[in-house]
Amino acid sequence: MADLTRRTFLKGAALAGGLVVRPPAVLGQAKPFAGVTIRGSSFQHVFHTYLKEYLPEFEAKTGMTVDFAPQAFPVYNQRADLELSTQGSAWDFLNITFIYSGRWIGAGWFAPLDELVNDRNQTPREWDAADFVSGAQSSLVDARGATYGFAWEAGAMLMGAGRADLIEKAGLKLPETFDQLLKVCEATNGKDGVAPFVADKLHHWNWIPYLMGYGGRVFKDPPGNLTPTLDTPEAARAAEYYANLLVTYGPSGLLSYTDDQAMRAQLSGRANMRTQALGWLSPLAKHEESKVKSTVRYALMPGGPAGQFPGSNSHGFGIPVGAKNKRAAWAFISWAMSKETLRRITIEKGYTTVCRRSIIDDPAYRKSMTFNGQDVAELYLKVLSLGGKSGYMKYRTVPVFPQVGDKINKAIERIATKQQGARDAMKQAQVEAIEDLKKAGVKLDA
Amino acid sequence: MARSAALDRRFHWWCLAPTLAVLAVVTLLPTLYLLATSLTPLNLTQPRTAWDFSQPGRNYTFLAADGRLHGSFWVQLKLSAWTVGLQMLLGFLFALLLNLRSRFLEALRTVFLIPMVLPPIVVAIIWKVLYTPDISPVHWALAALGWPMPALITHPAYALLAIIVADVWEWFPFTMLMILAGLQMLPQEMVDAARIDGAGAWRLTRHIVLPFLRGVLLVAALFRLIDSIKAFPLIFILTDGGPGTVTEVTNYYSYIQAFNFSYLGYSSAITVVLVSATVVLSAIIVRAVGWGPRSE
Repeated sequence: MADLTRRTFLKGAALAGGLVVRPPAVLGQAKPFAGVTIRGSSFQHVFHTYLKEYLPEFEAKTGMTVDFAPQAFPVYNQRADLELSTQGSAWDFLNITFIYSGRWIGAGWFAPLDELVNDRNQTPREWDAADFVSGAQSSLVDARGATYGFAWEAGAMLMGAGRADLIEKAGLKLPETFDQLLKVCEATNGKDGVAPFVADKLHHWNWIPYLMGYGGRVFKDPPGNLTPTLDTPEAARAAEYYANLLVTYGPSGLLSYTDDQAMRAQLSGRANMRTQALGWLSPLAKHEESKVKSTVRYALMPGGPAGQFPGSNSHGFGIPVGAKNKRAAWAFISWAMSKETLRRITIEKGYTTVCRRSIIDDPAYRKSMTFNGQDVAELYLKVLSLGGKSGYMKYRTVPVFPQVGDKINKAIERIATKQQGARDAMKQAQVEAIEDLKKAGVKLDA
Repeated sequence: MARSAALDRRFHWWCLAPTLAVLAVVTLLPTLYLLATSLTPLNLTQPRTAWDFSQPGRNYTFLAADGRLHGSFWVQLKLSAWTVGLQMLLGFLFALLLNLRSRFLEALRTVFLIPMVLPPIVVAIIWKVLYTPDISPVHWALAALGWPMPALITHPAYALLAIIVADVWEWFPFTMLMILAGLQMLPQEMVDAARIDGAGAWRLTRHIVLPFLRGVLLVAALFRLIDSIKAFPLIFILTDGGPGTVTEVTNYYSYIQAFNFSYLGYSSAITVVLVSATVVLSAIIVRAVGWGPRSE
């Protein structure tokens, strides 16, 4: 019955797509980009794996060849940063990584897309740029309202517990507060050989919701006032709490875990809870190698005394200002980000963190996001709206965040390995952050 | 006669000129550019900073106050001293062993070269697997024997040791190969004469072999010292300079400043200091040790 419904939906969607979505004039021509090769890159992500499976259809339709080579996250960001700074033409399209968006767009390294979007020869009206969730698009738009990219991923931080059954057996439920999180960790520690908590080493993403939950912040008032505020009592308390979670309840060697290692630990049932973007948590319910499909449960990111501040971010495709084949690049981006392609990737492949409202509201998407009877799409939307409303994620898109983020990573490592107490480590992070921001010429409070 | 010598000299200079020109382009110009960049606040997001020489001493002032940089010098010193020392010692011992006349040992020489010929990233990944408790056969074996081992690369007391072990494993074959080549040049009559004079193994090594190898040992040590200052793949893959900054050497810190933060001017200033220190250190070592006996 489930298959029948899905198939019926897909047939209907394809029919509607054919009738309603008129292709742009440029794609209406026979092989309008025959012989053209465009090159693009991003960091590795499951979205790109899915997208590449549909690429041959696009290449057959347009005649162009798309050389799309995603790389590891830090490698991609460094290469893109260098290449963009030269304003060279090596790439025709690139991902605009969230933490670099302010820097790359602010430096004028990406081309505005509004002209291409509004040109009916390039983009049909039905493509509907307004359909993208505004929160996800906010980092891809500059202060004047010009758009530089379209989001393929809206990361929304949730809590995923692969072995929620252990929590239930202990007579508890998924934690809603930091205190409850500690209690759950304590009650399930060592049960079935499962580590209660796991995280990857990107503390400047994972830790911030804990910092804000305790009432702290990274900068005084971003983006206007970038004076770091890492040496506050709230920051020390949050750092101590988080470092304790990692070393007391995480698996051995946790501090070197990459994103993928942390996910694998959950998939194999060796670790239980993780607070991370949904893209890293949904495989627990969907991945063919997951051993925790029947026991996984999701919840909102736990909150602290100051409230809940789950991280949210977005990454989108854009066109470097020096790209030679901007029209061809836009043809690719508009195809990859079209309702039809995104619908196929979400429904056929099970991709979860899509940014088009029309797909998120689609019953078929909601159904694909229901895991063990739990409506995870609802949680996902809650997080996106939380981040969009209060603007607490603004700290992350300021151009100097990578420098400050590095100090946070180092401080958490020093606390977790008992090299320093939380207060001293955060004081050192503050001093180093100020020194680095001075190098960038950032005006700071006295 | 004098005219002929002058012509000869001129001819030699003309022959050398293309090589010197290429050398100048590939080494001197980048060095001069590095020096010039170190006098600017070059930041990739602000292209105009590439030619801003208004505060030429700015980066060097930051250097003096940068505690993390000073810490990286100390880490660098420990890493270089241990890796070079151990590689020289192991290289020497294995070279002595492989210099024995035995078909088996001759066949074994190639096996010892494997770590050195592997791409550095592959070496780093091998050690990453060995050091990661979840997937490491070493950790499994020790745990099965009842001796669980902490995760070395995330432990502040062992992280640098873990890098040193991996680096020594990768590069001791290089020193071994150089020393072995030196040993095979050792005139047998010198050894025989010493033996006739009653020298045992220790005195033979101390008074004949080591003095003879002095030049080879010096070159091998200098190679390894300079390479240890350029250490990168093992640190990048295994520890990322952590936990905290326990394994963050100066070269790695300079890389972070340039490619994570875009402070190319500041990174250039660090590199200028590093290059200068390397040149000075090499000169001191060459002067202190000497090249050993030279055949006329």
